[in-house]
Amino acid sequence: MKFIKKGALYFMCTIVCVLQIQFSFGQDKFVLNGNIKDQATGEAMIRAVIRIEELPSLGVLSNEYGFYAIALPKGKYTLVVTQLGYEKYKEQVRLDSNLNLTILLRSANTLKEVVVESGRKNDNLLKPQMGTETLNLNAISKVPVIFGEKDILKTLQLLPGVKSAGEGNSGFYVRGGGADQNLILLDEAPVYNASHLLGFFSTFNSDAIKDATLIKGNSPAQYGGRLSSVLDVKMKEGNNQDFNVNGGLGLISSRLSIEGPLQKEKSSFILSGRRTYADVFLRASDEFKDNILYFYDLNMKANYKINEKNKLYISGYFGRDELGLGDSFGIDWGNKTGTIRWNRIVSSRLFLNTSLIYSDYNYNVKLKNGLSNFNINSNIKDINLKQDYTFYLDPKNTLRFGFNSILHNITPSTFSGTVINSNPKKGRNGLENALYISNYYKATGNLSLDYGMRISAYSLMGGDAYNVYEKDLLVNTIRLDKQSFGKTYINPEPRMTANYRVTDQTSIKAGYARNIQHLHLLSNSTASSPSDQWIGNSYNIKPEIADQLSVGFVQGWKNNSYELSTELYYKNLQNQLDFKDGAEIFTLADVESALLFGIGRAYGLELLWKKKEGMLTGWISYTLSKTERKITGINQNNWYNARQDRTHDIAVVGVYTLNSRWSVSSVFVYNTGDAVTFPTGKYSIQGQTLYQYASRNGNRMPSNHRMDISVTYDKKRKKRIQESWNFSLYNVYGRENAYQINFQDDPKDLSRTQIIQTSLFRWVPSVTYQFKF
Amino acid sequence: MLKKYFSTILIGIFLLGCEKEIQLPLDPNQSLLVIDGGITDEIGPYYIKLSKSTGISEASNFFAVTNAIVIVKDNLGTIDTLKHENGGQYKTNKIKGIYGNTYFLEVQVADKKYTANSTMPQKVALDSLRINPFPVNNEIRYSVIPVYTDPIQLGNSYRFIQKINDTLDQTFHVFNDNLNNGKENQRPLRGGSDSLEVKLKDIVSVEMQCITRPTYLYYYTLYQQSGAGPGGGTTPSNPPSNIIGGALGIFSAHTVQRKQILIK
Repeated sequence: MKFIKKGALYFMCTIVCVLQIQFSFGQDKFVLNGNIKDQATGEAMIRAVIRIEELPSLGVLSNEYGFYAIALPKGKYTLVVTQLGYEKYKEQVRLDSNLNLTILLRSANTLKEVVVESGRKNDNLLKPQMGTETLNLNAISKVPVIFGEKDILKTLQLLPGVKSAGEGNSGFYVRGGGADQNLILLDEAPVYNASHLLGFFSTFNSDAIKDATLIKGNSPAQYGGRLSSVLDVKMKEGNNQDFNVNGGLGLISSRLSIEGPLQKEKSSFILSGRRTYADVFLRASDEFKDNILYFYDLNMKANYKINEKNKLYISGYFGRDELGLGDSFGIDWGNKTGTIRWNRIVSSRLFLNTSLIYSDYNYNVKLKNGLSNFNINSNIKDINLKQDYTFYLDPKNTLRFGFNSILHNITPSTFSGTVINSNPKKGRNGLENALYISNYYKATGNLSLDYGMRISAYSLMGGDAYNVYEKDLLVNTIRLDKQSFGKTYINPEPRMTANYRVTDQTSIKAGYARNIQHLHLLSNSTASSPSDQWIGNSYNIKPEIADQLSVGFVQGWKNNSYELSTELYYKNLQNQLDFKDGAEIFTLADVESALLFGIGRAYGLELLWKKKEGMLTGWISYTLSKTERKITGINQNNWYNARQDRTHDIAVVGVYTLNSRWSVSSVFVYNTGDAVTFPTGKYSIQGQTLYQYASRNGNRMPSNHRMDISVTYDKKRKKRIQESWNFSLYNVYGRENAYQINFQDDPKDLSRTQIIQTSLFRWVPSVTYQFKF
Repeated sequence: MLKKYFSTILIGIFLLGCEKEIQLPLDPNQSLLVIDGGITDEIGPYYIKLSKSTGISEASNFFAVTNAIVIVKDNLGTIDTLKHENGGQYKTNKIKGIYGNTYFLEVQVADKKYTANSTMPQKVALDSLRINPFPVNNEIRYSVIPVYTDPIQLGNSYRFIQKINDTLDQTFHVFNDNLNNGKENQRPLRGGSDSLEVKLKDIVSVEMQCITRPTYLYYYTLYQQSGAGPGGGTTPSNPPSNIIGGALGIFSAHTVQRKQILIK
């Protein structure tokens, strides 16, 4: 372990030294750098494109904190900055010494915004990232969602390659991966359970969110830890110019946020809260007065500009769900995250961000039965230190490097209560380390590459015993002291993407990435639940590995106001987990004794056609895909469909802006049903009908489709107050989509088998009132 | 168990459930031999029932297998060749069910042979049944707690068959001592949302069986699969059985005790 830490230190020092040398050689050039911000709110502009009109082959992007730097020979230049939803910025600069220039962008007429903008006009053609989608938070408010609560996770599910975990559910699957294979970050802190109310809401209060980017497997080297995707959600920093109050009243939940400067232009804050109140109505009814069901969450963020070179951010999230039935049953769960970040401009071209992150997910179950009671608790806690350097080496190369160390403390379900014996299960610790370096290389005006390497390591630590199994037999038990280290897994993760611009409107892309996952979600049910538990690597559980190869093609028309992007991917998965039949994953003394291991594969074609301008904007997405697993001990060791294998997946999204007051939007979705296992036959044991099964997941749920509409009315602004109403109808034509299918004896004729389909949500109307002043 | 609560609360609150019967294209079925047999500590004879599985869309008549050779042996050397009575029921002649003895089953149908064995566990006394009232939303629901004290030794498994006014509760109630080894049981026989409700003035009868680990696994797997759909339930498959040779069903040596109680 010490070796790794020392190694990390050497690695960093070497890179910093090399950069210093480079820097001193490059003195004949001058550096233009600074921050890019929204003029009205002071929010940092992420991934804005900075170009020099005289040197069309050059171009850099601003980083997550709005910082940019570009080194140029002495001269006069025209600087052009573009960002979607903002007016183009143009300025003449004379560079005869290093220059610090803060760029303020003015918000464009919002009518022309599109919801998803992996391409901000031509710029998509410039960026090497593949399978990347960024959601524009202002515009998603127009897309209809169930219960009228705008939600980034549900809007993401309308994109190719992203599948919903179920109707109305905020859980998602990316390119055939499991729901636990998405790295969900909120201001860099991992969120272990991103859903409220069993998935009907996500933990993201869109009032507090600035930007959300989903990377489908080809993530740059600074990200790691999950196989399928990275969803990087960034909270707003808070307006540093003006105070704002924002709120929304809905049928099920309401939210309120306050933002404003603490010291104008120096520091600002945002505080945003949300709560559902279905429980208030429930308490009024006799029939459900003991039902408890609500959630709340709170987002907080503040930043402080120490001086021109140093800035500090503190952000936090706290959310909790409560569900219960009187005092006889209750479950509550929630996430807590906290992030402290320190941005430092080390030199004119070197930007450093240091983050200290805390993340906690836990759940508690209480069962009370007369005098006896029974509790289950589980939690996962992380302390995470990160350093991330961005070095603007020259106009062609931007280097990104750093390290990340996470100390995990994972306590699986532990039991207590009057009827329970002392529970031998204890928490386990694990140390996850990563080092990475990548380079964004603009080889020519048309060819750009992003290549890099991440090395991740996971060290088992003490706290509890580790059992070692070989062919189902316990062969060894390893006990480690609390602070000592056991086995360390080290895995290299090479990453590469390339983009070649064929013409102004056409580009081709290709990428390869290996991703490693050291934490695994244990769930043997067909749906996720707050009580699913995480487990780290062990002597039996090896890091999960995914290799993804993808190629893409982007074609624009009419000055890129229409765009078609196509991607093909193939993904190979190793060390996948599943359970033996009948595994009691809660109560087993060692859950690892019930694990099965295997491999997986997923491949598909994704099409996304977008209309980015005009009265009518929107997109059509289509995914053709396959995802399979092969686990020793399941389906006679043959390949079988993963449950989320849905052959066709279509989404059509349209937003029609009638005028500056009214807009109408609609969503239509269609997808093949989940791969499930239906019985082929039946038999009788002691008078009860049991069902006979053949191959796993060889059947299909009926296909799903549905249309939603929503109408938004923006009231004329009165002085400072801006109000809007949103009316939406979910499932317009009342389609009964199958939620579950059961086989049972027909009560009228016991010799006959009935197939019963249960469906949810027909015609869910909602109204939301929003205000801002 | 947790998931059943979730779906009950959710569906209860949103009143979202909308049920209808549908037709689905189903795969053809391969008819297999079904063995349903048990040796108990009650006085014999004991029966082994043989039948064939049938397709989903066919009537549940389950053709009896009447031409089999069925033999039960025990570890004391007793060999008992069972006699076919009727409807696929094969009756023992002389074998005795005693705790600690291992029973070996051999079934021969045409040229196919199936075998299984099961060792009868020690009996754990069912002391009584206790009524467990459960007040919620202005009404009282009831369930029954089988009162027994689990022995000190780890690894006991139990199955409970509950009848409410002679109607069989279809829930597979199986308990083990993973968490409460050596303690008095306080866990009620709580059915799934679709099972029968226990009401005031009902007569509830409970059969308690002390079962082996494989029998527990068989019924527990069925229990886990019973909550199909997103509310819970594991992906279904044929439950792990102790029968070797490719038959469905279970061969179980277990003890039997029965009690009943009036809900008042």
